[in-house]
Amino acid sequence: MTTSKQPTGLILNIQHFCTHDGPGIRTTVFLKGCSLRCKWCSNPESISLKPELAYKRSQCIGAKACGLCLKEPCVERAFYVVEGEDDRVHVNWDLATDCGKECADVCPTGALYMFGQEMTVDEVLAEVEQDSAFYRESGGGITLSGGECQLQADFCGALLAEAHRRGIHTAIETAFNVPWANVEKVLPHVDLVLHDHKLTDSDWHKKWTGVDNRQIMANFKRAYETFPNTQFIARTPIIPGVNDYEAHIRSTLALIRQYPNVIDYELLPYHRYGESKYEFLGKVYELKDFTSPTAESLQRLQAIIDEAFGRSGQPAEG
Amino acid sequence: MTTPIKRIAINVGAGYVPGLNTVISGAVLAANELGWEVVGIRDGFEGLLFRDRYPDRGLVSLTPQLTATLDPAGVLLGTAVRNDPFHVRTINADSLVEEVDQSEALLETLRQEGIDAVVSVVGSRGLTILYKLHRKGLKTVCIPRSTENDMAATALSFGFNSTLSDTVAMLDRAKQAAQAAHQIAVVEVLGTHAGWLALQAGMAVCADAVLIPEIPYDLPKVVAKLQVKAKAGGTYGLVVVAEGAVSAEPDTPEETAISALKAALSPLANDYEGAHVIQRSGYAAETVALQLQRLTDHETYPLVVGPWVKGGVPTAVDRQLGLGYGAAAVRALNTGQTGVMVAFQPPDLTLVPLAQAINKVRTVPANSEFIQIARSLGICLGG
Ligand code: SF4
Ligand code: SF4
Repeated sequence: MTTSKQPTGLILNIQHFCTHDGPGIRTTVFLKGCSLRCKWCSNPESISLKPELAYKRSQCIGAKACGLCLKEPCVERAFYVVEGEDDRVHVNWDLATDCGKECADVCPTGALYMFGQEMTVDEVLAEVEQDSAFYRESGGGITLSGGECQLQADFCGALLAEAHRRGIHTAIETAFNVPWANVEKVLPHVDLVLHDHKLTDSDWHKKWTGVDNRQIMANFKRAYETFPNTQFIARTPIIPGVNDYEAHIRSTLALIRQYPNVIDYELLPYHRYGESKYEFLGKVYELKDFTSPTAESLQRLQAIIDEAFGRSGQPAEG
Repeated sequence: MTTPIKRIAINVGAGYVPGLNTVISGAVLAANELGWEVVGIRDGFEGLLFRDRYPDRGLVSLTPQLTATLDPAGVLLGTAVRNDPFHVRTINADSLVEEVDQSEALLETLRQEGIDAVVSVVGSRGLTILYKLHRKGLKTVCIPRSTENDMAATALSFGFNSTLSDTVAMLDRAKQAAQAAHQIAVVEVLGTHAGWLALQAGMAVCADAVLIPEIPYDLPKVVAKLQVKAKAGGTYGLVVVAEGAVSAEPDTPEETAISALKAALSPLANDYEGAHVIQRSGYAAETVALQLQRLTDHETYPLVVGPWVKGGVPTAVDRQLGLGYGAAAVRALNTGQTGVMVAFQPPDLTLVPLAQAINKVRTVPANSEFIQIARSLGICLGG
């Protein structure tokens, strides 16, 4: 039953037919807001916990043809045009205060729009359930991702509980940098937890993600122990020069192999998607260029994992 | 009535360019003549936002005696590319990373330190930040710094002339190498929105072609130019490309293709064709070199000058300009001006309100004298 009291969540995007975020064909719901600032982050538009103005310059029809955003309602004068033939507007992201939807609403072409939309549990599930035939056949379900979905713990908990009630398999992708109180609200309703082990060394964790990993490590252990019937898959995004070394893989294995409910450990090779930087992110974000890991280094690290899980991979040398 | 100024601060809220110490010297010497005290804030505003990180609590006392010992090429105070007190990264009590507006706290620290005004060396972004601080009550005069000379209202930003000289020196080397190897060098130089650096440096070395952001390029025109040269016995080529130069042709599907995984991770990926992305350094040179190689008989290779020209020794022009800008900022404060940027509009140094200086990019106009000269010299501009 829909009630007006349902918690709402700030949703960035709902992606259908995903195959990377858990078993089967899944619908992935991206929640906005993150509590880390990984320097390799490939979806930085999910970082802020607030709705943000976004701009697709290719869809602007130009100041002469339109120019509506240059007049009202932006009191901050965040929009401007550079002299020359191309009269499509530019955005001064330091003046764009993300004050609300008015600027986006004024744009007739959708060039200006908002990242992040408030949605209720029922609204999200209505969209998710469009795919129900696919995931019921493939053993899929719903995956909550981000950002850090556990930041919106009340909403996540309510959404996943309702998904369970409707018989949908539930998974989350999380980095676990949240207070335990959040975890307690979310995990009772989760079948599979895909969680990042980014860096073992706490100082390095701080250097590369903005904060040390003490809370994260404590949450790992407590979650494995508190939810023995929940399945966990540990994952490491492999970034050369950051965490592509054996000691990290081995110490992660040393922790997770103590817990039978951690069923696997996956390596996610970092890719330089599109090799671009997002102009609007200058406000809060700097993206560092990293290279992708080589096939050899991935194989070497994978072999260590396979060995630890008693699979047929070649044991690692030296 | 406004209180008279006794103590001012200076900082660099932009990236490094050679000669920043000359701006500091200019401000200190001029302030000294007025009997004012000057302090420098370390690393943009970081010195005052994170005082505990600095043994001197983020402030350096600046005296004429000290400036006499400064290397004109260096920058005593440090710099800050991202210098934004409105979004200061912090870790909250729950160990969550978040950006917090600390502009009020910054203004309060300035008050406590008895700092009456701030002279800030800034690029386009820093100008907006100082404009916002000014709206919150900060007395400030800004000094334009740009390696691309793309800041509006001034004919010459601090740092451009040195960057230009160094870029010319680099292009000379690239030309020698291309000549020796009978190849086509495609050299990418700084310039995201404005092509001044590419155009002026390319002219100085008589490049075969110069591609700038203001003129979307049509590569067959560049090829035609190189073929005419080859027929006349030329065995090499030099093409200068500004970082922000774009093809007149819409992107090929090959270039806009994105991986399915990225599409799953980022909703932005679907519209990965507009100017909301800034290509990484080297992309423009690689794109042009690859296409020229397909279209000509010559081997081509991309080179990126990039950050190499942001260091080095400041030119005489920048040393004068630095001293002049520093002194003019102090003069402006002394006449009660605030919320302004010092601008060089030859032959004068003038003041422009920050509100008029922001949200503008000084691009190369289609009828620019430089464009006409380049065309007269036979340099192909790709359009
Ligand atoms: S309102 Fe939209 S289409 Fe019109 S000028 Fe602004 S961004 Fe372009
Ligand atoms: S945890 Fe994920 S979303 Fe958050 S900053 Fe790191 S990579 Fe980006």
